[in-house]
Amino acid sequence: MRYTITHRTLYQYSSGVALCHNEARLLPRETPWQLCRPSQTRIKPRPALSVERRDFFGNRILYFAIQDVHWRLEVTVATEVRVLDERPFDESSLSPPWEHACQMLREDPDPEIIEARLFGLDSPFVVVRPTFRDYAEPSFPPGRPLLEAVADLNQRIYREFKYDPHFTTVATPLDEVLRERRGVCQDFAHLAIACLRALGLAARYVSGYLETLPPPGQPRLVGADASHAWLAVYVPGAGWAEFDPTNNCMPKEKHVTLAWGRDYGDVAPLRGVMTGGGSHSLKVAVDVEPSPEPVKLKPS
Amino acid sequence: MIEAASLADPHVSSAPGDALLDDYPVPASGYDEMCAAPGVLRPHWRDLARFLGETGGEELERRHTEVQRLLQADGVTYNSYGDPHGAPWRWRVDPVPLLMTGEEWSVLAAGMEQRSRLLNALLADLYDQRLALRQGWLPPELIYAYPGFLHPCHRALPAGSRWLIFHGIDLARGPDGAFRVYGDRAQSPSGAGYTLENRIILARALPMLYRDAPLRRLASFLETERATLAKLARHHPENPHMVLLTPGPNSPVYFEHAYLANYLSLSLVEGEDLVVRDGRVWLKTLGGLRPVDVILRRVADAYCDPLELRGDSLLGVPGLLQAARGGHVALANALGSGFIENPGLAAFLPPLCRQLLGEDLKLPSLPTWWCGHPGDRSYVLANLERLVIRSILPNQPHWDGSRLDAAARAQLADRIQAAPHLYVGQETLPLSTAPVLEDGQLTPRPVMLRGFTVADGDGYRAMPGGLARVSSGLDTLQAAMQQGGISKDWWVLAPTPQKHVSLLRQSYGPIFVTRDGSDLPSRVADNLYWLGRYSERLDGTARLLREAFGRLLEWEQDNTDERCLDDLLDALDIPVPPVAESPRARFFSLRQALLALIVDADHADGLRIILDGMLRTGRAVRNHLGDDSWRLLNRLQQQIQEPPEGLGARQARELLEEDLMLIAGFCGLNNETMPHHQGWLFLDIGRYLERVLRTLDLFHLAFITARNPGVPLWEVVLTITDNLTAYRRRYRSALHPTAIIDLLLFDEDNPRSVGYQLRRLQRNIGRLQQPDHSPYRSAEERLILEALATLQLADIAALATLSQDSTRSSTELSRLLEAVEKPLLGLSDALTHSHFSHAEVPRQLIAMRP
Repeated sequence: MRYTITHRTLYQYSSGVALCHNEARLLPRETPWQLCRPSQTRIKPRPALSVERRDFFGNRILYFAIQDVHWRLEVTVATEVRVLDERPFDESSLSPPWEHACQMLREDPDPEIIEARLFGLDSPFVVVRPTFRDYAEPSFPPGRPLLEAVADLNQRIYREFKYDPHFTTVATPLDEVLRERRGVCQDFAHLAIACLRALGLAARYVSGYLETLPPPGQPRLVGADASHAWLAVYVPGAGWAEFDPTNNCMPKEKHVTLAWGRDYGDVAPLRGVMTGGGSHSLKVAVDVEPSPEPVKLKPS
Repeated sequence: MIEAASLADPHVSSAPGDALLDDYPVPASGYDEMCAAPGVLRPHWRDLARFLGETGGEELERRHTEVQRLLQADGVTYNSYGDPHGAPWRWRVDPVPLLMTGEEWSVLAAGMEQRSRLLNALLADLYDQRLALRQGWLPPELIYAYPGFLHPCHRALPAGSRWLIFHGIDLARGPDGAFRVYGDRAQSPSGAGYTLENRIILARALPMLYRDAPLRRLASFLETERATLAKLARHHPENPHMVLLTPGPNSPVYFEHAYLANYLSLSLVEGEDLVVRDGRVWLKTLGGLRPVDVILRRVADAYCDPLELRGDSLLGVPGLLQAARGGHVALANALGSGFIENPGLAAFLPPLCRQLLGEDLKLPSLPTWWCGHPGDRSYVLANLERLVIRSILPNQPHWDGSRLDAAARAQLADRIQAAPHLYVGQETLPLSTAPVLEDGQLTPRPVMLRGFTVADGDGYRAMPGGLARVSSGLDTLQAAMQQGGISKDWWVLAPTPQKHVSLLRQSYGPIFVTRDGSDLPSRVADNLYWLGRYSERLDGTARLLREAFGRLLEWEQDNTDERCLDDLLDALDIPVPPVAESPRARFFSLRQALLALIVDADHADGLRIILDGMLRTGRAVRNHLGDDSWRLLNRLQQQIQEPPEGLGARQARELLEEDLMLIAGFCGLNNETMPHHQGWLFLDIGRYLERVLRTLDLFHLAFITARNPGVPLWEVVLTITDNLTAYRRRYRSALHPTAIIDLLLFDEDNPRSVGYQLRRLQRNIGRLQQPDHSPYRSAEERLILEALATLQLADIAALATLSQDSTRSSTELSRLLEAVEKPLLGLSDALTHSHFSHAEVPRQLIAMRP
């Protein structure tokens, strides 16, 4: 599938901001199944300085600083992407028994496996507790193939949790999400990650976008889409398999990848520190528009 | 006592000695630094032992007291966090140095230098290629679960840059005489400044010992430190602007930050003094922004940049890491280098050293087992009763297995099993002992050393000596010092006597003469201004109190008119006690109300709260005050913060008398020694603004709102302003309000008069540098002009009938006082806005705390 992703963020301040430093993770990363054309970035007011780099996880980061007094900050990034249908794993992929995967992760000296162990440890938003293990256990009977077990966990979260955008914020603890059985995509991804890590597996957080289809008979609404989040579990020696507990599926061509990390904290789309500003309001509009014309893309 | 090497059999003792050394109880087991066995002196201690013997215990104790006095006078402290009044611990130094031969030191130094190279190579690898991880030399859990590994610092240094510039190494000698490393310090490797101060103080207290001692001097090491820092600068290599970034006066080691900044000629700055613009770091000064080339960092790296590191940090500079990435500013140590403090690393260093350097590790660590490794974990769990268990997370307790009972050990084992990669087990070894002076006797006490290295050329250079401290062996420097630990001067012996040189009296390269003081950080100006205000407030309150106690005592003795006491209480802003049944009862209630201002630590208008403000601001500008001013401030602190028990009125008056002398000395010295540049101007403006406001208040009280107007009260006004003699000499008459008003309001040559004070404020405000170089008068210039003009244009004739209880005159005076006061009340805000307003604290766009 081909899409044009437009992500617009608008901050308005009650008093002038004299200086701000920002980091945007809004430039989609390339993957073997995702090709990106150069992004169009528009920042108003114009930054005095902007620099792109890769972070520790390989995500693309745009640092920018605005040094003149301003009352609003608008960041718009538009990117044309092509998402291929083939992924390393799908529902029928074979995988080792999950205990075997845990053991390989612990003991295999392969550098790639060693690197993946980072995603088995606690991270700021995902602190493992025994309750997560307890919740995961029914999906992980002895000897069950890893991907089958994770798909089951994915489905249970989808069925047993209510999608409720009014219940949680960025700061809602995972314990509460588990207790109340409700949350949003970010919470479900964190919960699944916590469950997998509690069992001794490695899992990472993936941020991105999802094409949403309008109700039958109605036109697409521009800007009505939202950022999305899901997770990937590491299959030692084979790679990362993605799961989307919010939609009970394995991401394919409708999921556009933006960045990944240990948890949300590593991939927050826009963060900044400012001097002044008083109180502020925030508006975010995301548009995932299927491209009518085939876009010519070259793999990088 | 005899020296070991002078005999065929080195362990034979004999010879009559002196009591001090003969009584030294050499421990039966373990390694003693001074004696190889009871009565057998190690040869390199010979000269020192002779000196100690000749001096004798009593005289040494006298010198010891002198050392403590000098330290206190210099304000050497180790602050503790969490103390509500922030009372700093006094630094304690033992007068007996710890000796080491040059030969032994060269071996140790080679080991320390290698360790610094190794850890620097490890940092360079972990923040880039991660070979150590990918090849399995270090387990990922030990790296990633340790909070000191900061992934935003990945590839954050330009290629070829050094991560580790300054390295502190905690060492101790075991029973076998071999040194082992107990810990590495890279965030803020404190101690070099204390080491230097110890040496300087001991040399002052024991001149005959230090003058010609054959010991390696420290100055050249600090010279290397300074040269290394300067070489880090990418811009202005000939005259780089270098700063020391401190968390501020609340840091336990703030004394050292101020001391080193002074010694190495660095600007002492806090995070809010710096700003990142155009990808560079700038210091906010009165004259505008000034580029910073090198930062000697004493703020833990995670707190240095709220944009990329800890978002809740108020100590950092937003955008600092990005500026470092661009190479425009160099930090020592680089952000991210705190990783090497990880206690689990010790278990992996020998193979790492072979892999990364191709060398064998010269200086071993304390035997350490990392519980994330199954084999090591079993060993630790099986040997809990003889190991110390540490968490690799910061601010966690450690557990001495030998002191736990079976139940506590089982609990600890469960803890380890639950998250084994977070724990290490360490062997406990008895530390070597060294003689410490206690009650005139030498007593063997366990010692730990902190050594230092600094990057030099392609390698590192070790400080010849360092900080020795009497220790339990488990504590960190911080723990030891907060518990009131004792430090020692660590000598490395040289073949011949060495000259004592101080870096303070040398200059570096070409001198760039600057004089206007416009490079003063705005925060420093702010603090100087408030230091001026607090010192005058302290003076004013102490004067009122002294007068009140004086009147109280006169009334008690001679039954004089005491009614003006009620007005004095008003002036001090304390409620007048209700009418008492007897004079005796009235005396006690008045006395108690007045004493509260001296004794109560929390009385909002009391001396102690005001002094707190003075100390807080004073500490923040520590290196802008002269040493003598600083000593007076320390005396003042002792005097005011520790009032004697059961204080009476007479004693209180004497105490206040002394306080006033000290305050006068402090202010006078500042006038005499501080260059009258921008910094001094702020101090003086603060002082005189406070004084003029207080004088106006006093006038209002005496002539407008007095409960008991009349001669006694007017006399009080003259005494408080120290003008009674001036009045008598000039007017040779009884007190007359018009004359008093002339003397204290209009006479512009009398430093106690409002007129003089306004003139002085006007002159100094006019000399302040305006940040925007505008040709127009600034807000503060307009305000002071308004106050002065109002006074000068006053109709003096209308005030002439004050004594006849004329309502007209008193209304006129009241109107005048208010008209003068009004612009002055806006002055403080105007100054803040024009000169200190850069101090707004940056904050996060979205709170990112999980």
